[in-house]
Order: sequence, then C-alpha cells, then structure tokens
Amino acid sequence: MLKKYFPSLGVILAIVAIFIGLPHFYDNQSFLFNLMLYLALAEGLNIIYGFTGYLPFGYVGFFGAGAYGGAIAITLLHISPLLGVLVGGVVAVLTGVILIPLLRLSGAYFAIANLAASQALYLVVANPSLEKITQGPYGIDLSSVYNANAGYFAMLGVLVFAMALVAYLRNSNFGLSLLAIKEDRVTASLAGVNVIRARSIAWMLSAFVAGMSGAVFGWYTAVFYPSTVFSLDVSVFTIVFVLFGGIASVAGPLIGALILYSMYNFIGISTPQYFQLFYGLLIVLLVLFLPDGVVSLLKKGKVYVP
Amino acid sequence: MCPNGKKLLKVEGLVKKFGGFRALNGVSIDVCQGRIVGLAGPNGSGKTTLINVISGVYRPDGGSIEFDGCSIYKLPSHKIVHLGVNRTFQVPKPLSGLTVWENVLLAAVYGSAEGDKQQTIRDSLEIVDLSAIKDAISAGLTFAQQKLLGLATALATKPKLLLVDEIAAGLSHQELLWIAEMLQRIQQTGIAMIVVEHHLGFIDTLTSDVVVMNAGANLFRGSINEAAQNEEVVEVFLGR
Repeated sequence: MLKKYFPSLGVILAIVAIFIGLPHFYDNQSFLFNLMLYLALAEGLNIIYGFTGYLPFGYVGFFGAGAYGGAIAITLLHISPLLGVLVGGVVAVLTGVILIPLLRLSGAYFAIANLAASQALYLVVANPSLEKITQGPYGIDLSSVYNANAGYFAMLGVLVFAMALVAYLRNSNFGLSLLAIKEDRVTASLAGVNVIRARSIAWMLSAFVAGMSGAVFGWYTAVFYPSTVFSLDVSVFTIVFVLFGGIASVAGPLIGALILYSMYNFIGISTPQYFQLFYGLLIVLLVLFLPDGVVSLLKKGKVYVP
Repeated sequence: MCPNGKKLLKVEGLVKKFGGFRALNGVSIDVCQGRIVGLAGPNGSGKTTLINVISGVYRPDGGSIEFDGCSIYKLPSHKIVHLGVNRTFQVPKPLSGLTVWENVLLAAVYGSAEGDKQQTIRDSLEIVDLSAIKDAISAGLTFAQQKLLGLATALATKPKLLLVDEIAAGLSHQELLWIAEMLQRIQQTGIAMIVVEHHLGFIDTLTSDVVVMNAGANLFRGSINEAAQNEEVVEVFLGR
C-alpha cells in the first residue's frame, strides 16, 4: 500500500536536496527563500483549487493573516519564532473557518467573494485604530528575532509539509473524494461522501499552509507592511504558477513555480520592460495549447506524474 | 400489507415546491422489503422529483419520509446513502475524469461501512458487466455504459432500496431486455426498488405493482393491465 507513495516521496526528497545543496553554490539566499515560499503557496493553493475546484482569488488573505498572526504572537506574547509560525498557520485556519460559508458559492462568485474577503481583512489589519495590536499601516518590526538561516530552514519545513499533504491527497481515498466533489457534488454525495465536511477540511488545510508560509515570510523579512503581505500579487502569482504547472499532482505546481518564478527573477529584474510581454505571451500560449498545464504533456505521453 | 411483513419505505403526503409550483403535491408511496414498485406517469408528473427528494438531492417542503423505521426527511444525501438508499440518474452523472474503477471505489469506501471493499467493487462491476473496462476513463464510455456505471456505483454502497430513474430511456430493445433481466438479478440479492419508467412494457416484465402519478400526486396503484383499463390513467396519458 505504501509503495504508491514512492514517486511523490522521490519528488519531495529531490526538492529538499536542492534547497539544502544550492546555498553552497549560489549565494542569493533571498531568491531561494522566495522560490520556496511560492512553491509552498502553490502546493497550498493546489489543495483547494486542484482537488476541489474552488479558485480562491483571495488566497493572499490567509498569507497575510498568518504573517500578522505569527508576528503579533512573537511581539506581544514573546513566543519563539518557530512557535509563531505555527500560530500563524492556526490564525489562518481560524480565518478560513470564518470564511467557510463562502464555499456555498461556486465558480467566479466564489473567486470574487473570496477576493473581497481578503481585502476586507487587509483593511481591518491596516486600520490605524488597531495600532496597539497590528501597528496599523505602519508595519511590523521583527528585527529583534531576525535569523535568516533559521527562517530559511523553517520555510523548507513548511514546503515539505505542504508537499507531503498534497502527496497524501494524490494517493489517498480522501483525495479521491475531493476530486469527486470537483467533478460533481451530487454524485459525490450519493457515493456517501460528506461533501461539506470534506471541502471544509481541504479549505482549512490550504489555509494552514498559506498561514505558516506568511508567518515564516514575516520572520525572514523582519520588517513588513500590510500592503506587502496582503498584496494581490501573491494570489495572482500563485494562481498562475499552479495553472502553468498543472493541478492535482505534487509535481505540477512545483514545476510551474520553479520555472515561472525563476524566470520572473531573471527577466523581470534584468529587463523589466520585456517581462510583462513575455509573461503575457506565455499565459496566452498556455491557455490556447496547454489548458491543463505543463504536466499534461507528460500525462499525454502516459508518464505517471507523482 | 407486505407479504414478508416488513415495510422498507413509507412516503406520506410529500410536498416539493419550486417557487409557486408544487411539483409534488401530497404524493404517497410505500415499498416492501425486497420488492419492486413501478412508478409511471406522464411527463412532468413529478416522478423524477420524487426520486430526487427521497434521495436527498432536493429538500422537501412537507410530508414525511420513513426508511427502515427512521425518518430520512430533510437528511443530506450522504446520510441517506449510509442508511441504505441509493439511486441512478436518467442522464448519467459519472465522475468523468476518474476511471470506472475509481468511480466505484469511491462509493465502496464512502458509501458503506461493512465488507471487503475490493470484493464489493468487483461484484458491482460484475453484475453490470463492466469488469472488462474497469480502467477506462468514464468520460469515454457510451451513454449506456455510463448508465450501467451509475448502477454499479449505487450497488457498491450496498443499498437496501434502489431508486432507478428511467434506466431504459434511450436504450435499444436488446439492451432493454438485458437490463430488465439484470434488475431482476439485483432484486434477487434482496434489494428493493422503485423503477421509474415511461416504457410500460419494461415495467410489466419487472413487477405487477405499479403506482401512476399525475400532477405531483397519486392517481392509481395496481398492475399495468388494470391501469390500462382505468379511465383516469388513460386520460392523463392520452387525453380525453
């Protein structure tokens, strides 16, 4: 039974080896950190979008909630940053619980409502009246606990957790039940699946990954503003990476984020005037010729995608 | 009332409204353990709505539904399935991205607590004769095969009552005979059924106990032959 997990496990080990090994040859740690961050977010989004079909445009809301949840716990409760990462995940899950009724919507309505919810959260956090807790729009300063290396490995830990979750969904009956919900809710419930419970669990797992990612980001960055961690760019990047790579597998979102985020960093920073043109063209080509992402090429060639 | 003494399903005065329209207007039906009840009626008389309400796909607006001694009125579908009711769809709704095996696997794992899952899947596919294409993606199946897959999925949840919604619609005469025989085999394993059908000859080969509905309510109960001689039944089917 465990044998079916081997391919996914191979992918996870390869990613771990890359991010432990690469810093010895390549000294831009911040780039590697951000790459891991987007890999983890892409896998987190994959849980809710890839498996159940809900596209959360406001996914950044969980990221921001986690960043602030973790940071506030570290500054006000004086807990260790690692524990703060967990608190960030839990705060994002609680945000997810509040937003569970949104799952009653579907398609574009869900995407828009979720987008609005994330912006509402942003405005609450950035509100100057809450300065005593969130510092309002003036940002959070975590420089007293700043530790780049620890933050780097914490991010790797969150990434492994996210990949392991997706590997579980990819190979388990629970994952199959989520795919069934995406295909047809009525058929899924007549197969005996408790649709509301299953999709809520997927939603909270997805939130947990984004929340922990946000908290690690806050810790690693040390100083951040509400506009940084609630920036819609985070949602858009993550969604594009997942669509580019391909959904409902461990490897798809990884491939998408690895290729596109690396490209963003090299083209986007050296020749930013061409970057958007390039990204735009790529997305047009993708929608036209590879709507199921890069990994669909492999699937067509009957290659198993872990 | 029941020859074997046990009433499995008891629906009384069931009401389902869509806006101001009462699709079900006080319909009652009961099914004895292990028996087949035919359900006929003209288009729009509420047959499929009744199946949808019993199986929890629609929420009722009045009346009562009792199954195996407990009320399933307004329960969500998955709970009704766990108690032992399942159904097929007139237009099949397979999980089209998944294989035939995965479709049935999901129902075997989530639909019923008991038994060897692998065996349940194999048996369900065997009875509808889909074992040979178990690894096919279900989107690629023919219409008839998708209907059979729907039946296999329902059987994998180990129902005591199966609601069969127009399984004969759109099938050839040959397929019809074969499906009638298959439903009889399923009944012999102890599963009771409500068989919704336009094709009265098809119902006649399965059961002599037919309920005719009209405008969301009961019109007649008896055999097909009696129904054919009943003036009211003739009127709703053919007009005055």
